[in-house]
Amino acid sequence: MTMRARLIRLWRWVTWTWSPASEREASTAIVENLWLHWFPAKVAEASFSWSYSLWLGAISAFLFLILTVTGVLLMFFYVPSTQQAYWSIKDIHYVVGFGWLLRNQHRWAAHLMVLVVFLHMLRVFFTGAYRAQRSANWLVGVILLLLTLFLSFTGYLLPWDQLAFWAVTVGTNIAKEAPLVGAALRFILLGGTEIGQSTLVRFYVLHVFVLPAAVLALFAYHMWRVRRDGGMAVTDPASAGVDEPREASPVAGKTYSLFGVTPGTSLETRAAGPFGDEAATFSAPHLLRRLMLVFLAVFTLTIVLSLISGAPLEEPANATLTPNPAKAPWYFLWLQELVAITTLRLGGLTLSGGLIGGILVPGILLAAGVAWPFLDRSPLRTVGRWFPRERRLQNTVLCIIAFIMLVLVLIGMLMRGPYWQLYWPWQAWPEMPRRL
Amino acid sequence: MSLTPASQPAQPERRRFLQWIGQWSVVAAIVTQLGGVVRAFVPRVLYEPSKKFKLGKPSEYPEGVTFVPMHRLFVARERNQFHVISATCTHLGCTVEWKDKLAEFQCPCHGSKFKADGLPFAGPAPRPLEWYPLSVSGDGFLVVDSGKSVPPTYRFAIA
Repeated sequence: MTMRARLIRLWRWVTWTWSPASEREASTAIVENLWLHWFPAKVAEASFSWSYSLWLGAISAFLFLILTVTGVLLMFFYVPSTQQAYWSIKDIHYVVGFGWLLRNQHRWAAHLMVLVVFLHMLRVFFTGAYRAQRSANWLVGVILLLLTLFLSFTGYLLPWDQLAFWAVTVGTNIAKEAPLVGAALRFILLGGTEIGQSTLVRFYVLHVFVLPAAVLALFAYHMWRVRRDGGMAVTDPASAGVDEPREASPVAGKTYSLFGVTPGTSLETRAAGPFGDEAATFSAPHLLRRLMLVFLAVFTLTIVLSLISGAPLEEPANATLTPNPAKAPWYFLWLQELVAITTLRLGGLTLSGGLIGGILVPGILLAAGVAWPFLDRSPLRTVGRWFPRERRLQNTVLCIIAFIMLVLVLIGMLMRGPYWQLYWPWQAWPEMPRRL
Repeated sequence: MSLTPASQPAQPERRRFLQWIGQWSVVAAIVTQLGGVVRAFVPRVLYEPSKKFKLGKPSEYPEGVTFVPMHRLFVARERNQFHVISATCTHLGCTVEWKDKLAEFQCPCHGSKFKADGLPFAGPAPRPLEWYPLSVSGDGFLVVDSGKSVPPTYRFAIA
């Protein structure tokens, strides 16, 4: 096969589940229905389970929706200028009617999204749902996790208070430690050598447009890919005991009108999975109803949390005074701990903690995450089950890694006081000056 | 392919070549444009404060170490000998503080400690604090060039 033919085949494999026999068939399939790609006509009953998926993917999608809506509303009041950013946030919080609610909800949804996307990833790992044809979607998921973190980080700078300024100072100095490209990367990210107006505008545009657009595009692909790969792993024949990888392919015969309301029958949809039509249920209304329920729960949770606890706003950003202690956002605290303890001195050679803890360790974890679907040799019949015996070793290793990260985050959050000294959570810190 | 005409073109080679030119000129146009976009994000002019700036007159600084918050540096004086040390931590860029009793610099972010000459002795900082050269302006002010660095043996004497 020539290189060109290979590339075309790869392209088809990435973008097509089935090739239309005629131009007409292709157009018909796409144009007939507005909701074409929204839900499959029928969904296997196994994938409705609350306890299998914990609906973590749906929850993160709804958090993204809440973030988009509250974010757009906040954009009406926020001014991305070093002179006005802080005061516009203060206005949002104390002057704009219910502005505090918008801001708190945005903050809480952002924290929860980082948490839930991470838990979603753990769930997919523990149930082995990244194997065979699903490895592509696992990679998309890894990128979505990184985008979520970067979205959170860019949003962190926008209030332009001490918390924002110093978290981003530390974060971008970690980027600087990257070999060869680090300094150039920081220069382009900041739009200069120090954090200033160009940094604020760059972070703002990334935060409100570029990154959300990227998340939206990948999210669409992520969802489409779930269907292309034969639905959720729990519905696989492999998890029912058929021990061979299955390339998802259209099952002949069944045609449904989507939602049961359009009269056309020219659109061929895939039958409901290996357990047959009897084990499947119409998406509308059954899937729709559950999704609405999950959305309601997520929305209520963000509102309740916003009423209990508000987003912080410290003194305006001050480049001459580092707050003591200065901390990264909680989801980067494990990195901050690593950065602080991994500076190595070998003879005359010193390796910065920024390089080891900030770049190498997370880089290795990321590389392992990307490569794992292709290294995993556990039997495919374990796919779609929680903690199967055959996957005990790798599940234990991931549990330990996640536990270490959790412990480091808790130490950074609760126990690090001034000058990076350790204090018990109930111990008082010495008084530190907050202004010069 | 339904788009291929039934009759063979007279010169298929030429047709394929023109097609090739067409496709790759589109690719070339996009790549060139992208190059321009990337260039736009590398600033040509930095509206940042000059790396060379005036401090106060030498007589304004007392014996010992004085923090100059505006420029994030310390002015150290021993009689008529001056030197200047950067307050930017070499670990991840927080501002270090001078502890007079201990005669050392401490960083609040990750707990690095430096001796009075800027040499790190505890915590994660990988390099000594920067030293900058001094001069005196015509009107008698100390001038720092933070774009250059000097070794910790450097002393600037005021006559």
